Amino acid sequence: MEIAEASGSGIIHYLPTEVFDGVVINMQTMYMSWLTMAVVALIVFAATRKAEIIPSGVQNIVEVFIEWLNGLMEGNMGMEGRRAAAPFIITLFLYLFVGNEIGLLPQVGAHFTSPTNDINVTLGMAVTVSFTVYVLGIMRNGLGYFKHFIQPSFLFLPLNLLEEVSKPLTMALRLFGNILAGEILLIVLYMLAPWVIPDLWIGFSLIVGFLQAFIFTMLTMIAIAPVFRAHH
Amino acid sequence: MVDVNATLIAQILNFLVLLAILAKFAYKPLLKAMDDRRNRIINDLDSAEQTRLDAEALKEQYAEQLAGARQEATEIVNKANQIAQNLHDELVEQARVEQEALMANAKERIEQEKQQALLDIRAEVIKLSTLIAGKIVNQKLNSDKDQKLVADIADDVLNKR
Repeated sequence: MEIAEASGSGIIHYLPTEVFDGVVINMQTMYMSWLTMAVVALIVFAATRKAEIIPSGVQNIVEVFIEWLNGLMEGNMGMEGRRAAAPFIITLFLYLFVGNEIGLLPQVGAHFTSPTNDINVTLGMAVTVSFTVYVLGIMRNGLGYFKHFIQPSFLFLPLNLLEEVSKPLTMALRLFGNILAGEILLIVLYMLAPWVIPDLWIGFSLIVGFLQAFIFTMLTMIAIAPVFRAHH
Repeated sequence: MVDVNATLIAQILNFLVLLAILAKFAYKPLLKAMDDRRNRIINDLDSAEQTRLDAEALKEQYAEQLAGARQEATEIVNKANQIAQNLHDELVEQARVEQEALMANAKERIEQEKQQALLDIRAEVIKLSTLIAGKIVNQKLNSDKDQKLVADIADDVLNKR
């Protein structure tokens, strides 16, 4: 029953630790999140340490991603939306992308997992996105922004509230499920067939990692878009 | 496996810290560099277009000037030709007039000389005739009346000639 155990909580360790009385934090997730942050910061700083008019090296690579995201942002949120949200969106994408891929590193020396294999992380990100939308909405339209909850009529309030909750929840669960499933399946495959097949799965997971980061970022843009469309 | 705990809050803080650090120290210079580059390219393209338009305008202006200069040159040459022709005509006319004047003068002079010569000859003829006739008819025809008769005859003869 090794496989059954593996697919259970036996092999994915979150290291829940009670840091204060009653405050439990998954330390494995935290370490990986910090590592992800460090990698993202390293890449971005390498690219911008000497940001130049004529780019080269890392700056080129990061700029390719940023240009790509800028294009998506302008398409979805308009010029103004891009100006307001660019740092958030870019950081979000880079964090999720790096975070998704970090769990696929060879388990040598350290136990690498994706921070995004923890529902706390993905839900945290989704909640952050929701609040970012509120903050941007209030900054742009004042408290009148919340009027859209009772549109087209106040009868829609429950429906709108449900949507407001379900959207981040689905975003969080989609990312969490994809990444956790990928990692569990990888471990299971290692047990079933130690060679070649897990490598194929890693290749596939790399694509899934990029794709899920993209989907999450894209949904974020779509969530922010109405804020900037309201005026036009 | 799916238990939500304080990690959620910690993760939100993590992300906000990362966002704050990157936004403050990284994205500003990078986005600025990218914007600068975009603006610079736009400016360069604009100024290239402007330069092209300027060059075209200048070219047109030069072509116009060239055409003007060519026309002016043609005009000058034409004018010079006209002047030369006029001068030529004038000189020829003047020469003709002068020549005619000279000719008329000469003719007049010749006529005068001729008249003078005729008068001289007449006087001489009268004198000689008178002398000859006088000598011939010395004895009979030396009164004033005779002399007058001879002069009349001589005139008659000379005029008939």
